[in-house]
Amino acid sequence: MLPADCSRRLVAELQGALDACAQRQLQLEQSLRVCRRLLQAWEPTGTWAWEPPPEPETNEEDPLPACTPSPQDLKELEFLTQALEKAVRVRRRITKAGERNKAPSLKSRSIVTSPGTTASTPPQSPGQAGGHASDTRPTKGLRQTTVPAKGRPERWLPSVRDRTRAGIGARAPRPGAGLRNQHMAPSAAPQAPEAFTLKEKGHLLRLPAAFRKAASQNSSLWVQLSSMQTSDSMDAAAAKTQFLQNIQTASGGSQPRLSAAEVEAEARRLRKACSLLRLRVREELSAAPMDWMQEYRCLLTLEGLQAMVGQCLQRLQELRAAVAERPPLPCPVGRPPRASPSCGGGAEPTWSPRLLVYSSTQELQTLAALKLQVAVLDQQIHLEKVLMAELLPLVSAAQLEGPSWLTLCRAAHSLLCEGGARVLTILRDEPVD
Amino acid sequence: MRRRRVDPAAGARAGALPEAIAALSRSLPSGPSPEIFRRAKFDRPEATSALWQLLFRVLSPLPAGNALASIALEVQARLVKSALCSQGYPRLALAQLPEDGSQGSRELLLALSWLLARGPVPEQMLAQTRVPLGDEMTVCQCEALASLGPPAPHMEAEGPVDVRHVQWLMGKLRFRWRQLVSSQQEQCALLSKIHLYTRGCHSDQNLGHLSVTEAEMLRDPEGGQKLLRTLERESRRLEAVLAWRRAEPVFWQWMDTVLGTCTPEAPAAASQPTFLPWVPECGDGELELVVRELQTLEEELREAVERRRVAWEAKARGCGRGPEWSATRRASRETVEKELGALQRCWEQDSGPAPAHGPHRLVRREDGAAGDRDLRAAELIRTLRSQEACLEAVLRQLQGQCRQELARLAGALPGLIWILPPGR
Repeated sequence: MLPADCSRRLVAELQGALDACAQRQLQLEQSLRVCRRLLQAWEPTGTWAWEPPPEPETNEEDPLPACTPSPQDLKELEFLTQALEKAVRVRRRITKAGERNKAPSLKSRSIVTSPGTTASTPPQSPGQAGGHASDTRPTKGLRQTTVPAKGRPERWLPSVRDRTRAGIGARAPRPGAGLRNQHMAPSAAPQAPEAFTLKEKGHLLRLPAAFRKAASQNSSLWVQLSSMQTSDSMDAAAAKTQFLQNIQTASGGSQPRLSAAEVEAEARRLRKACSLLRLRVREELSAAPMDWMQEYRCLLTLEGLQAMVGQCLQRLQELRAAVAERPPLPCPVGRPPRASPSCGGGAEPTWSPRLLVYSSTQELQTLAALKLQVAVLDQQIHLEKVLMAELLPLVSAAQLEGPSWLTLCRAAHSLLCEGGARVLTILRDEPVD
Repeated sequence: MRRRRVDPAAGARAGALPEAIAALSRSLPSGPSPEIFRRAKFDRPEATSALWQLLFRVLSPLPAGNALASIALEVQARLVKSALCSQGYPRLALAQLPEDGSQGSRELLLALSWLLARGPVPEQMLAQTRVPLGDEMTVCQCEALASLGPPAPHMEAEGPVDVRHVQWLMGKLRFRWRQLVSSQQEQCALLSKIHLYTRGCHSDQNLGHLSVTEAEMLRDPEGGQKLLRTLERESRRLEAVLAWRRAEPVFWQWMDTVLGTCTPEAPAAASQPTFLPWVPECGDGELELVVRELQTLEEELREAVERRRVAWEAKARGCGRGPEWSATRRASRETVEKELGALQRCWEQDSGPAPAHGPHRLVRREDGAAGDRDLRAAELIRTLRSQEACLEAVLRQLQGQCRQELARLAGALPGLIWILPPGR
């Protein structure tokens, strides 16, 4: 058994790490739920109050520009419109909904040639051109036509969605042929000309105008704010410095103490210094100099590193003295999240958002995986240091105490040298006699 | 000496001050009315509690929420005092204020102004509660796993635990890491799909596709309405901040007068904080670890350097002398100095690559083209890979050290065979 205070510290550290992971896992799962839901079939419901609904009739007149559908496409289109008409009839029978659609965020360019149907296709996202007509798509569409009919009458006739394809394909079992098949083709049909059209014309899914306006106003305000930040007026800057000085002189406090935030920042810097120095020392010590010049340089480097280590130690002792003045106690509300104020302030806080551009799923996954790996390594290194500080003294102190020491040894080896992944075996070598 | 060049025009504008203060209070979350500020100048007691609460909001590291609102005024006041002390606030009078909110509004006003003078407080608070419209990824490691908030009050191990419990916890942690990896891979895949499928939908050509938030808004109009309202509220706050920045000089003039009405404090005999500063509890423990590491390193270096210096001196004596010899030596010295200087800069500069701070909005582009202020994933990947390699080296080295140490300790005990686990 480990001594009580050691146990407490170790358990606290590990539990802290576990909690941090759990928190991150929770965030990820929340995000996953949202993403999965978006990739399933849904429809933008028609309750946008801000945008006037488009007039389907005018849309119907619009020819599909810039591409002449092939006869095959036209035939498939016809299939689809028949299917839609039928669906609408079924719908009308059930809900008596003769209202016009009110999904202003939808722009229908595709299935517009269907006369009489006030159905406009829900947004088909671009980029699925000629793709892989998945057979699950029509299923979803069909299912949707019946189910929501019980619901709100002003619902749009949902059609298949491209974005559900891969999502559904990945999750739902692919249904067999049969009924689906005849709808497979027509559903695939509008994709080709449509995607092409979309690429040229822009978007089918559109953000509501009110939102667009608010978002652009918001971003322009942020931009104004950052430009104002960098060109802080001379008056204000001078006034602030003066005020700070005035307060300092008018106050009873002696020279400004090192604030806790500064202590922490300094400690962090020194920690970083320590790792960098240690790495460098390793490099130099393990390098084999070929000639006297290299040897000389190696020697100089080591001496230089020695001096730097000495400086860091000195700085650390000063910091420790400063910290020791004040009795640290845990704050009931919680301690400030590490590094967040200094990071937010950072080099130069730019308030307008910047982009991180990636070009493929692979790249994004690699990026995220690396980020996580670096964080995990950070955690691992911290734990390693804590474990070293706690376990090594115990092992050396409790020697020769029998089986419990061996257990400790074994555990220490596993935790310290293998990251807890593997355990060694100890055999007692009984002398034969 | 409180003389300062004042822009006469700025002060002469009547009504500029109330405007400035009004803008300030609009730019802060739940900012008190300008009337409170005015009363505080005259140290009226009724302004006190509002100012305590405002200071608490500003200084509290936690995001606003119900938890904050329910904290009692005394506790808030105490925490404000701690926080100000940790930041090095010089005025002692604040520390001595009663915590029930009965007096001291002028001191609180001074404290608020001190904070406002030191940093862009309204902007920072706004940035904290900013509504992200895109799919954000932070680039710096500031939100890395290890630095999450304080450990929740746990059932800490009451007494001694078996080391196997520690091993078990470690195993649990490793499992959680693996879980995180797989969840994250999935999330990235889904995110990428959504971006791909909504390509061309966005009104902002620069972005090109919708983010999950935006798509979600189309799916769920109620949520969308909420988002819109939050966005508009944020825009109002932004306008207030801009107005405040423009009207600032007038405010500082006024604050000078407020400071003038206070009697200067006598310097304290000893700067003894009378309350507990809001110091992170890690303070001493962490420093301990680093000190120990550095001391070990120092020992090692001392030995190695002595040895090598002696060896080299001996060798050098044998070689010839000459001007080029000393020239070469000088050149070597300079090179080494430069290298070590670069090394030192690595940690002295707080942040690494300067623009890589804060959250970035993820944007998918087939060609991966990026503006000059934007980041590209490929570059970030390179940086992260080198960071990863660095950290792995550190970890391996630490593990090697442990291996040596344990081997030494175990070797002292004869009659045992240690079978190491098969290498990876």
